[in-house]
Amino acid sequence: MIRQANAIDFWRGFALVSIFINHIPGIYFERLTHRNLSISDSAELFVFLAGWSLGLLVASRKSELTAPLVARLGGRAMTIYAAQILISSIALAILAAAAYAFDNPLMLEWHNAAAAFQDPALTHIGLVLLTHQLGYFDILPLYVVLMLAAPLIALIDKFARPTLVPIALTLYVSALIVPFTAPTWPVPGQWFFNPFTWQAIFVLGFALSREQGVGAVVRCNIRLIRIVALPIVLISAILVWLNWFPDPTQLPEPKLLFLNGKSFLTPMRLIQFLALVAVFSASYAYFAPWVPGLADFLSSLGRNSLNVFCVASLLSLCGQIIRYLYTGSLLTDTMIVIGGIGLLRLTAGVSEWRDRRTTSA
Amino acid sequence: MARMAGLPALALAGTLCQGAWAQDPSGKSETPSEPPPALSKACGEASISVTPLPNSALALQNRQQVKILAIGASSAAMLGMGHDGNPPLLEEILERNIKGLDVEIINRSFSGELAEAAGERLKIEVALNHPDLVLWQVGTNDAFAQVPVESFEQSVTSTVRWLKDHNVDVILVGLHYIKQLAKDAHYQAIRASLQRITVAESVLRITRYEAMEVLARTMRESGRPEPRDFGLTEAGYDCMAQYVARAIAVGLFAKPPKPHPSPAPTR
Repeated sequence: MIRQANAIDFWRGFALVSIFINHIPGIYFERLTHRNLSISDSAELFVFLAGWSLGLLVASRKSELTAPLVARLGGRAMTIYAAQILISSIALAILAAAAYAFDNPLMLEWHNAAAAFQDPALTHIGLVLLTHQLGYFDILPLYVVLMLAAPLIALIDKFARPTLVPIALTLYVSALIVPFTAPTWPVPGQWFFNPFTWQAIFVLGFALSREQGVGAVVRCNIRLIRIVALPIVLISAILVWLNWFPDPTQLPEPKLLFLNGKSFLTPMRLIQFLALVAVFSASYAYFAPWVPGLADFLSSLGRNSLNVFCVASLLSLCGQIIRYLYTGSLLTDTMIVIGGIGLLRLTAGVSEWRDRRTTSA
Repeated sequence: MARMAGLPALALAGTLCQGAWAQDPSGKSETPSEPPPALSKACGEASISVTPLPNSALALQNRQQVKILAIGASSAAMLGMGHDGNPPLLEEILERNIKGLDVEIINRSFSGELAEAAGERLKIEVALNHPDLVLWQVGTNDAFAQVPVESFEQSVTSTVRWLKDHNVDVILVGLHYIKQLAKDAHYQAIRASLQRITVAESVLRITRYEAMEVLARTMRESGRPEPRDFGLTEAGYDCMAQYVARAIAVGLFAKPPKPHPSPAPTR
């Protein structure tokens, strides 16, 4: 049975639409997404809610034996891994097809694809190992790693809950201070999303979803937390709007503790994101009754987040190609956004229709 | 930089490079042990201006190491493909041609990124990695994404100035050449804008567009069949790495321009 619209699915759908738009650089509507007034953006929201969903899943299976739960979570990681391999392959094919169709070899260089066409043997190994990632196709590799860690997170939560968040934060701070990250190969570089720092927001999502531990403490003090969070959200909106950030070279060491860096999910981004969550966490209950259509629409995207995310990634790539071919006017941009979001809704609808058929069979 | 071709151009470019090469980083007229890296015949000859890279030259002098941060859309187009897991071609050429030089390349290319976003990320990478030289491949994505020329120019100029203020040399790697884009007005406007920036800010630009044009012509003139654009791009990676290596080598030993005499005080 399809679950009713709820806050988690709604915000997940919101994040998916934002990611779809933000992954078409230069599109008019990217200036309307919340990152224009927020240090953090939809990537943080997506990963946080992935952790939150994991927390809900683990809570709903608390009577389940450990081994089946670990197998279930491992299976989920494999599904996401398969999705990443599939969309990377399709993206390469789209770029190659566009390059030939429009007689433009530069498209073979888009999205870090050049290595796949010029040095295919090693790059294909890299694609399978997730050490070679196409540009804008780099969130799912992070998600795969986080889901591979999910059984461990669930086990720690089950047997040593008070240590879960401290362990995650220790790893987070270590990765910022040393610093370290995951390397790319065969093209030397580093992952755009550092899994050692981004795990923190995933684990926080997991922990805050639970009725015990950190989640319980936050729920008990949510009013006070919102009082503290509101000025953080407002001040950061002003900082982003006016682009008032300190010169990163002038910051004290270790600089990653103080600067605004997405790859490392620096504390500035993490704190602002948590403040944003605190402020907006209650908002769904107030506005959903006023805009039930929107709530249903975004919730349906959020319920089918993996399928919708995969299609959104490919549509963003197609959107970039269309913008290039039709010179990116406001009309083109509007059609891309309306058409794209319509196709995302269709993806969600088809996924739910298939789920219903599977259940009834 | 004006495009040069043929024998006169070869001779002139050679003269320019040799003249520049006869300087050591301290500005003394000592000839380094090796000539600047030669371009392979297949790459033809593109013009390379003599633009000093004072911070990199100082690094070479002080620690025999130059740290290069590569940022922009296509690392392959700047560094050359490091086939079979080898280091990028650029690193190999520089280390082979400049005795004792240790080149460290920090690749932070991120495909699809526009100049404004790359500029912000670049500042963070400079703070974290302390490079002597930034290789910034810029313009192609902005042209494809239809970024207005004024905002592109503003983004690149402010970032270049920031780098200069922070004692980091910068080489801008320009837009790609393919003949289908020769009549694309916006593409050409972004290209012209980048040209204006390099002149106004006195920074080195690797004229990828012109170099690829030269490469296409060289392939035709050498009796090979009319190059297909796909082959041209592939060949272009290696040639671009050679152009970049040569520009860096020349820039390392170029004499800094004499400062303009300050105007006499009026009172």
